Amino acid sequence: MTNAFVRALACGTVLAGIAVAGAASASDNKIALIPGGPHPYFAPWEQAAADAAKDFGIATVDFKVPTDWKLALQTELLESLAAQGYNAFGIFPADPVGINSTVAELASAGIPSAALAGCTQDPSDVSFCLGTDVYNSAYLGTKALIEAMGGKGNIVHLAGLLVDPNTTLRVKAVETAVAETNGAVTLLQTVADTDAQEAADQKINALLGAQKDEIDGMIATGYIPSVVASKSLRTLGDKRIKFIGIDDDPIVLEAIKDGFVAGTMAQNPYGQGYIGAYVMDLMASGGCTVKDDAPWVKTPQTAKFIDSGTLVINQANLDTYKDDLKKITADIQGKFKDTYLNCQ
Amino acid sequence: MLRRLLLVEWSGLLAAIVLGSIALTFLAPNFLTEFNIYVMLRSFCVALLVGFAQMVTLGVGQMNISVGALGGLVAISLGGMLEVLGFPLVLAVPLAILIGALGGLINGVLTVRTGINGFIITLATASAFTGINLGITESIPFYNMPATLVAFGEQRFYAFPYLLIAPLIVAAVLGVFFARTVPGRQLLAFGGNPTAARLSGISSERVIVLAHVLSGTLAAIAAVLAVAQLGSAQPTIGTDWLLLSFAAPIIGGAALTGGYISVLGTMFAVVLIALIENGMVLAKVDPYWVQFLLGALILTAVWLNRWRAVRTGTD
Repeated sequence: MTNAFVRALACGTVLAGIAVAGAASASDNKIALIPGGPHPYFAPWEQAAADAAKDFGIATVDFKVPTDWKLALQTELLESLAAQGYNAFGIFPADPVGINSTVAELASAGIPSAALAGCTQDPSDVSFCLGTDVYNSAYLGTKALIEAMGGKGNIVHLAGLLVDPNTTLRVKAVETAVAETNGAVTLLQTVADTDAQEAADQKINALLGAQKDEIDGMIATGYIPSVVASKSLRTLGDKRIKFIGIDDDPIVLEAIKDGFVAGTMAQNPYGQGYIGAYVMDLMASGGCTVKDDAPWVKTPQTAKFIDSGTLVINQANLDTYKDDLKKITADIQGKFKDTYLNCQ
Repeated sequence: MLRRLLLVEWSGLLAAIVLGSIALTFLAPNFLTEFNIYVMLRSFCVALLVGFAQMVTLGVGQMNISVGALGGLVAISLGGMLEVLGFPLVLAVPLAILIGALGGLINGVLTVRTGINGFIITLATASAFTGINLGITESIPFYNMPATLVAFGEQRFYAFPYLLIAPLIVAAVLGVFFARTVPGRQLLAFGGNPTAARLSGISSERVIVLAHVLSGTLAAIAAVLAVAQLGSAQPTIGTDWLLLSFAAPIIGGAALTGGYISVLGTMFAVVLIALIENGMVLAKVDPYWVQFLLGALILTAVWLNRWRAVRTGTD
């Protein structure tokens, strides 16, 4: 989105890709990738959809965004797309329980769905959930933070939306990693509901204003607090407080480069969209179903979870982490059919 | 002296601010540090303008539900002009404020031309403004803001953020506008008694349009400050403004039915809200209870002001 020219060029490239793919279409499936609402995290899904259509010869893979982060809007969008002939969906549930009735409705009409980036709550008719293991990501992030702090000190956890069940998992993961230090590290505070830019700015700066001398490290497990804390530490000029963020927003990456942020936990949104579209195509064609005895990871939300990969981005791998994520994506995609599906 | 102070509508708020500050000083020793005072002052720059944006429409007995949506649209318009179109700051900022005024003009004209209540009109335009915002940005922020703008959002003189200059000027101008100018008095006269105002020769259409244009302009200035404060033009700017926009002027003593507003009262209300939010973090309140306590404390402040009004007979 840097300028209109780049955008036009990108559109042209995508259209050309679709045209080529259309010519050699392996399937007539119409697949839609649907996030819970507008959020920069899902931006790579658009490219993932275009690449999947091209690489796997799928007739249509579209990225469709509900206008607001509301279950009703997501449900309306899903039903409208199903009516337009879309026959498989990759969904980030706007509500992990509430979406299940719509997914069941789609399944009864022979339309498969997968949960991408965030899971639905079992029992659910989604075929599987491909996303970041949020517990593991927060746990590894806290471990990386503790290591950056030299194994001791006081930390603060900046969490995202309280209504998001993933927040509870992340809180537990941070607490577990802290507990494993046997008192060397103390969790001073958990500051939550920092998923809106302005609220995050107010809360994080208030925290730093009041307690910056007591805080040795911070971990953010939400996209927005990660961005805001990176900027706040830069403004403060503080390199003493170690900080581990999440996701690869340009502000966070720039702060890592300049030494204000120790690292950030990369997720794999592109891979989630790309692999999700690939698998949905296989399932929508009618030839494949998910295996019950595949090596699924069991989480508090679902019994059919696949980790889409996570890694710590720091100064050492700042220039190469995207290649690492591509390798992870290629690896999962290459093994998916044999490992998780029964295909005729 | 005390009785005279109690007669002023914002004295209850002032008492709550003083008591709250004393309590926080004991509770959190860092409360009165220079940096924390700066953080608090900085946090109410945008909030104050958002409160004013709603206050002017409340003054004529109208509401502007699109305050936040318009703010978001102005923010990303500013971002787009600076990053994509490469406009200089001196051109982009006035244009962004003009977009806000234009949004307000649309609200005002639609309200008077259709005869539909401004609440419904601005509810609809809020959705439209948000839609344009998302259509343009696809929820991806504009990051490359000029260093001058970002520096303005961060720099300070001791605890005084430069960002605060704009809301203070706006507050002074609004104070004079409503107390001393003919259009300002006409707005309040119309809000207090539309029939009497019409019989006095005040054009109801002009008054309503003017209130909405002012509201849009103030929301736009708030959006420009939000971009400076955050250092990037985020599409989410404004999403949390609606509740605050009503809370600040109403806690500050504005009448929901129109005809009475208080610039100083709104300022104190914003200070109180900023103080409560800051205190929540300082007091390490359990995150799951923050929302409840925020609501309870705001209710207490409103009750304190109401009690004062009843006791002093200024009810």
